[in-house]
Amino acid sequence: MTAADTPSPVVQVVDEMARVRQRARRRMLLGRTFTYFVAIVLVLWILIPIWLIASMAFTTPEVVRSYPKSVMPFIPFSFDTMRFFLQSRGIVPGLINSVIVAVITLVLSTLIAAPAGYALSRYVFRGREGFRLAILAVRAFPVVILSIPLAVTFINLGIFDQTYSLALMHTALTLPTTILVISSVFASVPYELEEAAQVFGCTPIQAFRRVVLPLVLPGIAASAIFTFVTSWNEVFAAAVLTVQNRTLPAQVLVSLQQSSEAYKFAGSFFMLLPSVIFIFAIRKYLFNMWGQVTK
Amino acid sequence: MTTEPVIQTKRRRKRQWAPYVLILPSLIYLAVFFALPMVRAVRLAIWDEHALLALREEPTSSSLAAGALPQGTAVKLLERQSVVATEVTESGGESLTEVWFHVQGTDPDGKMVMGWAAESRVRVRSTDEEGRPVGGTVRSKLGASADPLTSLYAEPSSASAIVGKLSSGTAVTIQEQAILEVWFLVAGQRDDKTVQGWAPSRALQIYGDEVSGRIDTGDTGQFTTAYIERMLNDRFFKPALGTTLLLTVIIIPAQFILAISMALVIQSRLKFNDLFLAIFAIPLAASDLAVGIVWYSIFTQNGFLNSLLQALGLLSIPQVFLSADTRHWIIIAIWLAEVWRATSLVMVIVVSGLQNIPQEVLEAAEIFGASLWQRIWRVILPLLKPSLQVALILRTILAFQVFAVVIALSGGEVVTVLANETYRQYYTLRNMNVASAYAGLILLLSMLSSIIYLRLVRSQEEVSL
Repeated sequence: MTAADTPSPVVQVVDEMARVRQRARRRMLLGRTFTYFVAIVLVLWILIPIWLIASMAFTTPEVVRSYPKSVMPFIPFSFDTMRFFLQSRGIVPGLINSVIVAVITLVLSTLIAAPAGYALSRYVFRGREGFRLAILAVRAFPVVILSIPLAVTFINLGIFDQTYSLALMHTALTLPTTILVISSVFASVPYELEEAAQVFGCTPIQAFRRVVLPLVLPGIAASAIFTFVTSWNEVFAAAVLTVQNRTLPAQVLVSLQQSSEAYKFAGSFFMLLPSVIFIFAIRKYLFNMWGQVTK
Repeated sequence: MTTEPVIQTKRRRKRQWAPYVLILPSLIYLAVFFALPMVRAVRLAIWDEHALLALREEPTSSSLAAGALPQGTAVKLLERQSVVATEVTESGGESLTEVWFHVQGTDPDGKMVMGWAAESRVRVRSTDEEGRPVGGTVRSKLGASADPLTSLYAEPSSASAIVGKLSSGTAVTIQEQAILEVWFLVAGQRDDKTVQGWAPSRALQIYGDEVSGRIDTGDTGQFTTAYIERMLNDRFFKPALGTTLLLTVIIIPAQFILAISMALVIQSRLKFNDLFLAIFAIPLAASDLAVGIVWYSIFTQNGFLNSLLQALGLLSIPQVFLSADTRHWIIIAIWLAEVWRATSLVMVIVVSGLQNIPQEVLEAAEIFGASLWQRIWRVILPLLKPSLQVALILRTILAFQVFAVVIALSGGEVVTVLANETYRQYYTLRNMNVASAYAGLILLLSMLSSIIYLRLVRSQEEVSL
């Protein structure tokens, strides 16, 4: 037995460490490859249905009717299906109504929610936690179901089947989320900034307008966009509360059974499009929207 | 927490009323458009507004009540009287009305007389520009025994004093007209006792013999379980409730597995991480109706799935997926559509929950050689519990409302859910009360599930403390 046969304890440890490190690196590489694989599968899971419906929306109605179906880029590109959908009865008025309802909802919701959001983020007051909990509870509630009793009320008041009365309902739907989002946007601007502005001679209102407002405006805009999309997508209350002045989703819903596939597919893509664009526009603020429910 | 120093700064100030002013608009708004409709929904579901009809001692709605009869009671019509309609009738059944004219004419003695005559006694010959009758002639009376003269009354009622008589064919000028409502003295049985009193014709349904009828609509409300019973006995009720619960049970686990996978991908900070996040978040803003149609395009008979299966040689003829005989395929399609659509919401909540977990904890687990599974089960999931619970409550409640996806994929008949039945009762059957009973059921289920979750959360926290 010589010293060379059995490695010294130091060498043993060094070898062992190298082996552990190598194993860890190999596992990390493997893990990373696996993660990329999962990521790509998940991306395909999200994107393939959108690709399929886009293929149907941007071709001719004849291709839509054909079987077996194939997808872009193997089929002729055309705006015919889209044009057919937009020229169908009730679609353009529905589109206009949808935009009107969504804009009223956006304005009303933001105007009512902004002060409440500011109060939640800047003041400590008795009942603050209660108010917060109430907002969370309302947000978790199936608010659209309340359009049934609201329909009865609206009929009695003579404001049934109006875009603005539907917007009142949609505001109730979006208000809790908007309050929470705006409060988290205000909370991300330190109060010290406002104080500093006042130290340098601003009045409180000037400090708010010159310092806080520019900082919170993008966040509030993101929340407003989300409000718009929520109202644009909402279909149950829209179908319950309108008859003549249908919004786009309500119009598509009630004519779904009697309509051709070209109409359905183009309508589906048309309704999806703004949401997809908006999500890309506000993706930075997604966690302000939904993340903070857990806090 | 970043908000702490802010709060301390403000606390030093004296008590302010500003926050209350700031939250007041939203409080008022939520009271009017959330709390009030909720109370109304419950009221519509269990309160029959037309349950009882109050019978009057005199034929006017301001007189004392002589008793009340429930809706649907058979009654005998004992007497008939017309009174000047004092109130505008908005709801209820058809109101029997009589029109009386205030006329002026020359009686058989050559005297000028003025008084009220029923519309049935005067044939209108001329009207003014607005269509109001201004002149006419007295109709002749049929039957030998009848008084050949037409009486004019002091007031528009045959109970009032006769002020003159006109023979048939006399030309009259019509100065005024009055619309009278017919009231009946009715008698009906309630609890083996006969109740008698006056009721307006609008509240009654009068049979052809004109001596009997039934109470058509009441004016006093009463608690009732009739609407809830009607909901429970509806042929769509059991399938709707069953499908809603089934969908909730199968959608949520799939969503959570998928959402946690997405969150872990985001957490491992690959290249193009922002792009991955944006793509995973796309369905967050997608319209549920649109998503339902997307999956319809896949599962319909000449859709993408059949095209693919045939291209791969797995099918020789297209299979019918969305039909009454293949309910399981409709459920699967709804399941896929809902999982596709609503996973993003869970993903965002889970990602922000993950970001709250200190990075050191995860790194420590990795350094100590925990495998991916061990890290997920032993470290990440336990730390994520609060976020997962919130997501679970939100998703369960949202799953009770699934609506447009089901309509798009099943047409709402073959496979139906609670929200769809609410809509059917409201829109197709025009029954607000049963629709409200369904709405109340959805509210109740949501409330129960959130209470159960919150209980579970609290008890687990107490155990862990």
